[in-house]
Amino acid sequence: MLDHPNTDKPVLTLKDVSIEFPTPQGVVQAVKSLSLDIHKGRRVGFIGESGSGKTTTALAVMQMLAEPGRVSGGSIDLGGTDVLALGEDEMRRTRLSRVAYIPQGAMNSLNPVMRVEPQMWDGIIAHEGAVDRAELKRRSDAALHSVGLPLHTADLFPHELSGGMKQRVCIAMGIILNPELIIADEPTSALDVVTQRQVMQTLKAIQAEIGSGLMLIGHDMGLMAQTVDELAVLKDGALVEHGTVQQILEAPKHPYTRDLISSVPLVGGESFLNPDARAQAPKRASSEPLLRFENVRKDYGPVTALHPMSFTLQGDTPQIISIVGQSGSGKSTMGSIMLGFNPPSQGKVLFEGQDVAGMNAAQSLDFRKNVQAVFQDPYACFNPFYRVNHALKFPFKQFGLSKSAAHTQTAMEQACQAVGLDPDLVLNRYPHQLSGGQRQRLVVARALMLSPKLLIADEPVSMVDASLRASILSNIYDLKDQYGISILYITHDLATAYHVSDYVMVLFKGNVVEAGPPKEVIGAPQHPYTRLLIDSIPWPDLARSWGDGRQDWDPAKLEAEAAQVPAVYRGTVPGFDLSTT
Amino acid sequence: MGRIPRSYLINRLVTFVLTILIAATIIWIIPRLSPVDPAEIALGRMAAGAGSVANSEEILAQLRANMGIDQPLILQYFKYISGALVFDFGLSTAAFPTPVSTLILNALPWTMGLMILSLLITFFIGNLLGALMVWDRSPKLVKVAIPAAMVFTSIPPILSGLLLMWIFSAQLQWFPLTGAYSIFVEPGWTWDFVKSVLHHGFLPALSIVVVTFGFWALGMRGLMIGVQGEDYVKLAEAKGLRPRYILYRYMIRNAILPQITAFALKIGLLIAGQVLVERIFAYNGMGKLLYDAILNQDFPVIQGVSYVIILITALSVFLVDLLYPFIDPRIRHEAT
Amino acid sequence: MTQPNDMPLTRAEKRQARRFRQFDNPWLNPKLIWGAGLLLSIVLIGLLGRFVWDLDLVFTGSSPLKLPPIGFENLRGQSGVAAHPIGTDGGGRDMLAMIIVGAPNTLFVGLLASLIGMSIGIFLGFSAGFLGGRVDDTIRVGADVMITIPPLLILVVFQSAFGDVSLTMMALLIAGFVWQSPTRLIRAQVLSMKQSGYVQMAQLSGASTSHIMFREMMPNLVPYLFGSFIASVTTSIVTAVGLEVLGLGPQRIPTLGRTIYEAINAGALIQNLWWWWGIPTLLLGIIFIGLLLINLGLDEVSNPRLRKLS
Repeated sequence: MLDHPNTDKPVLTLKDVSIEFPTPQGVVQAVKSLSLDIHKGRRVGFIGESGSGKTTTALAVMQMLAEPGRVSGGSIDLGGTDVLALGEDEMRRTRLSRVAYIPQGAMNSLNPVMRVEPQMWDGIIAHEGAVDRAELKRRSDAALHSVGLPLHTADLFPHELSGGMKQRVCIAMGIILNPELIIADEPTSALDVVTQRQVMQTLKAIQAEIGSGLMLIGHDMGLMAQTVDELAVLKDGALVEHGTVQQILEAPKHPYTRDLISSVPLVGGESFLNPDARAQAPKRASSEPLLRFENVRKDYGPVTALHPMSFTLQGDTPQIISIVGQSGSGKSTMGSIMLGFNPPSQGKVLFEGQDVAGMNAAQSLDFRKNVQAVFQDPYACFNPFYRVNHALKFPFKQFGLSKSAAHTQTAMEQACQAVGLDPDLVLNRYPHQLSGGQRQRLVVARALMLSPKLLIADEPVSMVDASLRASILSNIYDLKDQYGISILYITHDLATAYHVSDYVMVLFKGNVVEAGPPKEVIGAPQHPYTRLLIDSIPWPDLARSWGDGRQDWDPAKLEAEAAQVPAVYRGTVPGFDLSTT
Repeated sequence: MGRIPRSYLINRLVTFVLTILIAATIIWIIPRLSPVDPAEIALGRMAAGAGSVANSEEILAQLRANMGIDQPLILQYFKYISGALVFDFGLSTAAFPTPVSTLILNALPWTMGLMILSLLITFFIGNLLGALMVWDRSPKLVKVAIPAAMVFTSIPPILSGLLLMWIFSAQLQWFPLTGAYSIFVEPGWTWDFVKSVLHHGFLPALSIVVVTFGFWALGMRGLMIGVQGEDYVKLAEAKGLRPRYILYRYMIRNAILPQITAFALKIGLLIAGQVLVERIFAYNGMGKLLYDAILNQDFPVIQGVSYVIILITALSVFLVDLLYPFIDPRIRHEAT
Repeated sequence: MTQPNDMPLTRAEKRQARRFRQFDNPWLNPKLIWGAGLLLSIVLIGLLGRFVWDLDLVFTGSSPLKLPPIGFENLRGQSGVAAHPIGTDGGGRDMLAMIIVGAPNTLFVGLLASLIGMSIGIFLGFSAGFLGGRVDDTIRVGADVMITIPPLLILVVFQSAFGDVSLTMMALLIAGFVWQSPTRLIRAQVLSMKQSGYVQMAQLSGASTSHIMFREMMPNLVPYLFGSFIASVTTSIVTAVGLEVLGLGPQRIPTLGRTIYEAINAGALIQNLWWWWGIPTLLLGIIFIGLLLINLGLDEVSNPRLRKLS
């Protein structure tokens, strides 16, 4: 192919595109007069929060807007074709052959009852009619090969593939007819960082190979910086800034762009926390350590989710201990074991010297009062039947903290204010009337009201919008800093762990592979697995090479190698003792 | 094709065997709890025929021995269960001495024929219409007419049967009122006989189809709405596949799966409904046999018919269970 | 595909706005209201009829035979009379009185059987979901087995062995076969809710098991329980009518199914005595349509996606 990565012929021209959705409250302008060109071989990122109109724009190009949405003005030109003027069947023929779509939900994007191969073939047949079976096989094999998947993948059903494999199958499907434009809608949002890096590299390499334009939709500034050539920043349906990645990262003009860039936590960068006051831990009657794991192990059938682990958290000075790992590392299992939701297969969990598994009713109530949690999903944490204050009021009364109804009310209001919520606006609402960020703050407020001795925070910010993450994390940090609560912070996000924690444990397949103070473990990792994790994080730093060649970067091989290396212990902190045997 | 996971197979087999055993046991126990003595009923029948019976005590004892009800209960139970396994339910008391199994064997083909015809047609039409109600390219007529017609589909087939019978048999006289074939044709593989069977079977089948298709259509409609929002359907559209292909291979193919499970759960009620339809049309199947047996207090036949119908139900469920893993590959992967 | 130039009609827009308003209170959807109205009218016929009509007319021979409804003629050329506005049957019973007594009886059997069945189902479903292990296995297999067995056939054996039964007894017997679906439904819901965030939060709040069951889970189960209840009522009435049409069930108490049975046996279809079987059939039809509408309405309450379509 003769294509240069950067020619001047645009494959997509958006001119004054406006999109509206009629609703009972009036017409909502989802996209307002947006103009932009995507040139051949160029990668253009559309960045913005949910509701900014980025996916809507992409769907308009595909002519797949959900009812009753409609393009109310402007023109969409795909390589010389006016998309809006195409008839239904012409548009169908255009999809995949000229513009391919790589969907967001890799988990659910493949037909669960069809093998991979026929799902690749039906796209070809729909555009080219009957094609010889051998020819189909040749082309689907070539596509699979180009995304680095073994050829036997063709005979598998979607449920037999991992998330990363499914997304690579989707990419293979998308490029099978060599489209002029690829639209990738948050293609890695459901994947782990390591897999994300691999999938993005595949996408970049294949896009360069067929020389098409790429429209990448996302919300992660780091991922954008490492992937695209140009960046379009959308806010409330309007294009607020557009330029090369270089321009935008180095000299953002719009304040919203600056917010987006600064909301990405960096390892070693400036902290988003301001640790001023150091509170004392609440006086404890017991001299026993707050939490102790004695050879705790968890099996699910033949699979060991957590290998025997022992540690002691003294709890006399409040601390944040981070447990970092990918999905399947055993970190969430650890969290549910600590909460007593999930009995260990072997070993004991002791809370103030008392075995969590063998508590009587009074001890159990005391344990519940003193060990609280913030979960990942703020949408699920509130019973949809009750107003949200039920979730705050009920435990307060249950643990005998309430002196009177007025006292409960005051306590709730104070807790809301402490996490930056206006009690009048949130307390008497139903859960569906609040945003994810508001709900998660309420869960933090709930923990604050009960003032437990230990808080388990399991991925507390992974489901809230990026711009809110820092402030919710600092709410949680305040629990330690101002209210003296010890916290176990379970996360996949090494950058935030770097900033908030006193001690970090990196978990890999149920084993600790590296542990110590965050400055050592995350700042200067020694174990190959920790290094792999940190190398995989996309940062908005153009100087850093995130890698383009996928041949030399095989995470499966790197992980297998890392599994052979013994754990690295990088020093200790007083009050927390991890058994290193 | 992968193999069916063993644990799944064992689970379903246990359910199947348990169903038969429990049903057979209940059917056996119930008459034993009743104060009614079948021997006395038989004696009463003799008395009614002959005017009076001498030595009634002796004859009663004789009858009890014939029926096997003078033996210890546990022995009776095992005899009954082992008999039931080989379809031996003893002799009919009303049509003495015809074996119950002969009567059932004569009625069974009619019931099975009607069942396969009506239940399968209903399942097919109902699901197709339900899918078309959701599909955004269906003709307007489908979306307006079908939901309106569906209101009537909550009615049990026995009521629709009465209505159809009155209109088409009694008033218009297009179809015969009762029976499975005309008494004027010799049963056999002749065109006249087949024509007669179809003529007689049409109304019973229709009365089942018109009222049950809506059940499937409603269920399918709900499932299709769910599938319509799935990512794989959106991706199929983005791939530029033809709408009709998406409808069949992506939407219906996935939405039908829970319907098949529902079919297995519902089949008992559907067969029971059909038995009633057979009864009002005096169709020569199990329904008529059952009704006549109830009139004559012919217990062995009542037990036999109930057992065989429950067996057919359980067998259908078991077959659906066996087929299911081939329709839904996910079952093969993660055994339930 | 939406084209930029096709402006929607104002009428369509109005209809859309009306649909959107229904989102505010899903319990006020027209299907639910119509369904409840139909059932209520049957109940009212039974309640008010008692006061305005002579119920002694349900006894055999209390009226002339086979009189047609007002405005019709029977085969013997007799026309309907005001004393028997919807005719009489072949046993000399007044149809109106039969319906005033029979329709509530039919509803009663359905409601009682489902209430008992639902109670059993709620108890077993919660037990299976919460206790797990052996208890769960037993309940699950039990429900799976019993759901396969058609209730009609077991009840046929029972009633032909025992002869006449009372209405309550019949309801009890049917209840033994309508607990399976609610059990399965509640078990599945409990198992999924057990994993939900708000139940975990309640556990963290030191809530007792009964609090979690009845205060956290139960309110969210309400639409499902209602739906399951209505489905049970339908199954129960279908089964009861089935038994009655086979000549079983209560022998001396008028019910809609019993009336149909007598009509068929007396050859009402051939003699064109359509009111004899037709009127009870019509009432049963109204009951079933009412139940279906309620169920469809409830579906829209628990599944908002359905609301967009109809």
